[in-house]
Amino acid sequence: MIMQVDVAVIGSGPAGLAAAIHAHESGARKVLLLEREEELGGILKQCIHNGFGLEQFKQDYTGPEYAERLIKELEKTGVQCFLNTLVTGLSSDKVIEALSPEHGALEITAKSIVLAMGCRERTRPSIGIPGTRPAGIFTAGVAQRFVNIDGYLPGKKVVILGSGDIGLIMARRLTLEGARVIGVYEIMSYPGGLKRNIVQCLNDFDIPLHLSHTVTEIRGKERVEGVVISKVDSNLHPVEGSEKSIECDTLLLSVGLIPENELSKKAGIELSVATNGPVTTEIMETSVPGIFTCGNVSTVFDIVDYVAHTGAVAGTFAARYASAKVSGSKQSVDVVAGENVRLLFPQRYGFQDDLVLFVRAAEPVEKPVTIEVTPPGSRISRPYARPNEMLRVKIPRGKLAEGKQPIKVSIREK
Amino acid sequence: MAAEKKHFVCVVCPIGCEIDVVHDGSKIISMEGNKCEKSEEFVSQELIEPMRILTTTVRIQESRWPVIPVRTDKAVPKRLFPRIMKQLRRIKLQAPVNMLDLVVSDILHTGANVIATRTMPRE
Repeated sequence: MIMQVDVAVIGSGPAGLAAAIHAHESGARKVLLLEREEELGGILKQCIHNGFGLEQFKQDYTGPEYAERLIKELEKTGVQCFLNTLVTGLSSDKVIEALSPEHGALEITAKSIVLAMGCRERTRPSIGIPGTRPAGIFTAGVAQRFVNIDGYLPGKKVVILGSGDIGLIMARRLTLEGARVIGVYEIMSYPGGLKRNIVQCLNDFDIPLHLSHTVTEIRGKERVEGVVISKVDSNLHPVEGSEKSIECDTLLLSVGLIPENELSKKAGIELSVATNGPVTTEIMETSVPGIFTCGNVSTVFDIVDYVAHTGAVAGTFAARYASAKVSGSKQSVDVVAGENVRLLFPQRYGFQDDLVLFVRAAEPVEKPVTIEVTPPGSRISRPYARPNEMLRVKIPRGKLAEGKQPIKVSIREK
Repeated sequence: MAAEKKHFVCVVCPIGCEIDVVHDGSKIISMEGNKCEKSEEFVSQELIEPMRILTTTVRIQESRWPVIPVRTDKAVPKRLFPRIMKQLRRIKLQAPVNMLDLVVSDILHTGANVIATRTMPRE
């Protein structure tokens, strides 16, 4: 089937849902939402814990409730949704190839496109743990799906490597379901997940968190029988003689997320080495005019409210692009990381809208800090800066005079 | 009861103040490390009875998936989590179920209801 649409959105997690809703609200007549799974909502469907929407809706939703709220909003718009539809190709002239049992092979030409494919988990090969290859090694998100959607308990005696939020959430979830979580081991000297998750998922259930530790061997033939844990030094190298053997039947990995950009690469979109996502302007436009990006395919965000915020921006500007057929950003400058900044999003500023910056610190500062954005020389105070908690700051459009000078962002102790 | 020391991490907001509390078993005698007054209410409650929202799943029949997510509609004593889980393990719902439908009312006399957190059509 050959189709033409104004705005096509790829992925129906929180970013894609928000993008589709806002594309419609901003006047796009024909909006098409493509989802590879059989239901809308993306990963929120398996995130059954609460804590979603505290910023955006001032409500404490669970993931499925948050998704259903957006889905109900979407249903009012008349946006067309293709479920079970896998996008297999994307070109820079904005033609999407997709496959679906219902519609067959699809060729969709869109005036503008929003990428909302989300991210995927890093796996054992991406961190290279030595040892045998038994059953019982899962990424935390896969285990979450088994427990919360398919109703399976993946193991009874569990070690968790990495203190990312999904790992922490799963430590609590598996404990509630009767498994024994022996401990969470984190290679860094600070935790990966949010503080409230450390407290509510580990401390509440007396699950120990071991910082500066990693798994250096996996043992077992058919099934995991145990792991070897080692301390690491300041260069993150295992310390000889610190090895400790732990008996377990399951190892969960919560060792980071990578934006899912296979399609972006096919379209020749420029990717950022720092975020692994497209190089993006403040209106969420990629290096290919008319292709926009939002949510975790852009950079991995900490909370869903930020994801939905970028979706709303991407949807709004995708609709404008589709109606005006002009490129969003004619002139743009780089946004660059200065002192104590590990990650920045967006990476470019095109003088179209306020600059909403997402900043991740390189090193933790447990004291009041100033986030300095130059030009225009804005200084924004925050009570602390932690690598595991993204900072969001807004520089109004009116403060940023057009120029060629890059915008530098630094985090300094006050 | 003699005065005792206890360490808390406040979870009222994302700052997560580390608080050292001196208490007599049920009341705060003194506390330091908190940046605002909201921590006081949090710590007082933690001393008497830590309360949390419980989120989990229960089994469901005639639906696309074998389990459906549920939660308590308000915080319940944390110490009751194992008993609530045990009771919920015995439940089997029948699809269709709507989001916020009642699953168990006044679970273990806590005053909290267990409700569904998604819509599950019949299949």
